[in-house]
Amino acid sequence: MTEKEAEEAPRIGVYVCHCGLNIAGTVNCEAVARFAATLPNVAISKDDRYTCSDQGQELIKNDIKEHNLNRVVVASCSPRLHESTFRKACEDAGLNKYLFEMANIREQCSWVHIHDKEAATEKAKDLVRAAVAKVALLEPAIETEVPITRNALVIGGGVAGIQSALDLADTGYKVYLVEKEPSIGGRMAQIDKTFPTMDCSICILAPKMSDVGHHPNIVLLANSEVQEVKGYIGNFKAKVLKKPRYVTDECSACNDCTEVCPVTVPNEFDIGLATRRAIYTPFAQAVPSTYIIDRGICLNKEGIMACDKCIQACERKAIDFDMEPEPLELEVGTIIVATGAEVYDPSSLTNYGYTRYQNVITSLEFERLINAGGPSGGNLIRPSDRKIPESVAFIQCVGSRSERGNPYCSNVCCMNTIKDSLLIKEHWPDVEIHVFYVDIRAFGKGFEDLYTRAKEEGVIFTRGLPAEIVEDRKTHNLWLIGENTLQKELYKINVGMTILSIGIQPCHDSDTIQRLCTLSRTLDGFFMEAHPKLRPVDAPTGGIFLAGCAESPKDIKDSVTQASAAAARAGILMAQGKVSVEAITPKTIPENCQLCGLCARVCPYNAIAVDKERKLVEVAEAACAGCGTCGAECQFEALHMRHFTDAQIMSQIDALVEEAPDEKIIAFCCNWCAYAGADFAGVSRMQYPPNVRIIRTMCSGRVSPKFVEHALSRGVGAVLVAGCHPGDCHYINANIQTRKRVEKLWKKMDRLGVDKNRLQLLWASAAEGEKVASKAKEMQATLKKLTPEEVEKGKQAFAGS
Amino acid sequence: MVPRKLWRRPLDSEQIKLPKAEIHIIPDLCKGCDFCIEFCPRKALEESDKLNKRGVYPPKVADESKCTLCGFCTAICPDFAIFTTEKKEETSRNGR
Repeated sequence: MTEKEAEEAPRIGVYVCHCGLNIAGTVNCEAVARFAATLPNVAISKDDRYTCSDQGQELIKNDIKEHNLNRVVVASCSPRLHESTFRKACEDAGLNKYLFEMANIREQCSWVHIHDKEAATEKAKDLVRAAVAKVALLEPAIETEVPITRNALVIGGGVAGIQSALDLADTGYKVYLVEKEPSIGGRMAQIDKTFPTMDCSICILAPKMSDVGHHPNIVLLANSEVQEVKGYIGNFKAKVLKKPRYVTDECSACNDCTEVCPVTVPNEFDIGLATRRAIYTPFAQAVPSTYIIDRGICLNKEGIMACDKCIQACERKAIDFDMEPEPLELEVGTIIVATGAEVYDPSSLTNYGYTRYQNVITSLEFERLINAGGPSGGNLIRPSDRKIPESVAFIQCVGSRSERGNPYCSNVCCMNTIKDSLLIKEHWPDVEIHVFYVDIRAFGKGFEDLYTRAKEEGVIFTRGLPAEIVEDRKTHNLWLIGENTLQKELYKINVGMTILSIGIQPCHDSDTIQRLCTLSRTLDGFFMEAHPKLRPVDAPTGGIFLAGCAESPKDIKDSVTQASAAAARAGILMAQGKVSVEAITPKTIPENCQLCGLCARVCPYNAIAVDKERKLVEVAEAACAGCGTCGAECQFEALHMRHFTDAQIMSQIDALVEEAPDEKIIAFCCNWCAYAGADFAGVSRMQYPPNVRIIRTMCSGRVSPKFVEHALSRGVGAVLVAGCHPGDCHYINANIQTRKRVEKLWKKMDRLGVDKNRLQLLWASAAEGEKVASKAKEMQATLKKLTPEEVEKGKQAFAGS
Repeated sequence: MVPRKLWRRPLDSEQIKLPKAEIHIIPDLCKGCDFCIEFCPRKALEESDKLNKRGVYPPKVADESKCTLCGFCTAICPDFAIFTTEKKEETSRNGR
């Protein structure tokens, strides 16, 4: 049936969804459906309570067969949520899935104009009219299939990376595990005990680490960094630099070399509480167990061998100062990003005196102190006099839930402190323990029990963080001064040592990983998932998955859960062995092409090649991601952007401005950031003026200047072009072209005497619904000042566009 | 893990026993090539301000505690004018 659809005149079915009262509570769905019936090419139009339900889908399927429909429009929620659902329903009924279009009348209409039912209904009609106009021009398409390499790359060797690697390797896939540190293990290796079960952290982690080291399907690349990731789902090429350890695999970890090494520095693993040598292993259970030489401090610099003590001491002749960095090129089908997080540095909170007062320590330093294998042999000693303090205080939310640190809750600190307090009580029951908190968040399985136990053991919980810590110069004891907000009284408490319960924040090199893997990040800086509820481990880029604290702060159990989920998701792709690529790539129209090469120049993926000799422009479909910036750049209409063609977008503009154009704002929003941001505004019920009409493109780079000019020529009040923040573009850097084009348009408007405020550019991430809403309000204000003369001037200036 | 600024004095800094060095220079053998000063990985040597018999400025010890007894100065001295020995325990004070 697919072939004949295109040739026949469009017979469109329109379905207006009530979504219970989510839409119908604001929008008069019956009226919208009646209106849709009057639109050209519409064969039938219905409203329905829940179109996404089985019955709703059945209705569409039956109608397709019964009424011989060859196009379908559903007016309901965001296509980011249910487009695939309805496409599948169309396919089931034998209709090509590219002949389906959605009108977003929930996130971008009913939810954001709750109090203006009339305007919301009018807007819903407009959105349906645009969808009907576009659907009539849609073309059936067949997706190309791309093979998937059955290898995986896991970036980061903390507990999440370890779990993902083991799960994938056990399933039977080859896994490359890349860790930038000399050993895998991550943060979990530094922690003493885990909550709520009080298991010894390294005791449960070390066997997993050793499994990674021995697994026949895992290639462990420690002390290595990913330098480049190219390609696309199923066919990534990753360049990894394996940095030299200067110690070969012959190393038996006997420690003879470190005993003679004359250079010492504070050990990073113990946060500087112990020393290490220039040749060392970060900790006893390190995997790989091979030692490593820190050339930054070793006496032997490039070309000068001053000291050979370790070489002399090594019986197995495992030391090799001539080792070179080894660049590796890996071909992988899927990537799991498990790059973890860092801890907050409290030294900027000067009122707590960290780094000024010896006896103010962080919770991570505490973990090393209380650990039997740590620098104090598990003795809770305070740094100033190395004695066990009579009393200690924990301060919660250091660097979390505050404007002075990070705004979010770091998830693990409450339970970590409760666990730590119980560890102290276990060994030194007489130590008085204070916990100063904002809220205690003990939400997980077994967490409340642990909290109750801590209270029973005599840990004193006080609500209200200290405003300041003052040190007693003689005793080095600390005075904690603050307000108990439950008792409404001030406290001044003297303790021997204070532990700052520090939060978790994104890695400082998240930027690099983001760039390498074309990921997006939330405002907090953690990597963003494809959908917060239904695709929580998929990255927005196909074939890439997220696990552990790189996605958000989480405890060990959640990291492991997510890691297994990511492995399963990657496994699904690799088991299938192939994936189909959305048919949104450009087709060249050779007779229009002037071989200027502009399209190839703006393509972020180098997917376009201009062959001057054969007078051809070729698009490598598998490498193309479908952003459409080439289509916007082409001056000669020689690129046909499938599913987002010039004609389709123009038809949407025309439909949206059919009535009262000067009161309307046409907003072009990119699918990944701005459109998602507008959806987020809807989900959060942020209210904004109802005259905004959003047209979705995959990337803001698809927005051709002629779209904007066409809208102005039709007398539209204002135009907004919105995309991802520069550097966050889902298509590497296609939005740089967006900026260039908008700037050019501004100049042109200036030249033609058209008020350039009528064209606005907005960068908004998927989390910045507020930004979209406030931009709409701001533009509404400028719209009110718009004179009929100005509208006319715009019409004249761009007439014919 | 990326080391944040490590500011504490390690708890075990007093237990770490590194051999203490004594640097011996025979000034009159020195011809002033300055190799030892230039290549000492710890920069424990500097030029003295007293001329020797050969009319050059031989090296002198700048900071003996920096010396790790690597022996590189002995190895590269063309004139056998410098060598190091380990200091006996009674005079050595570890730490810092």
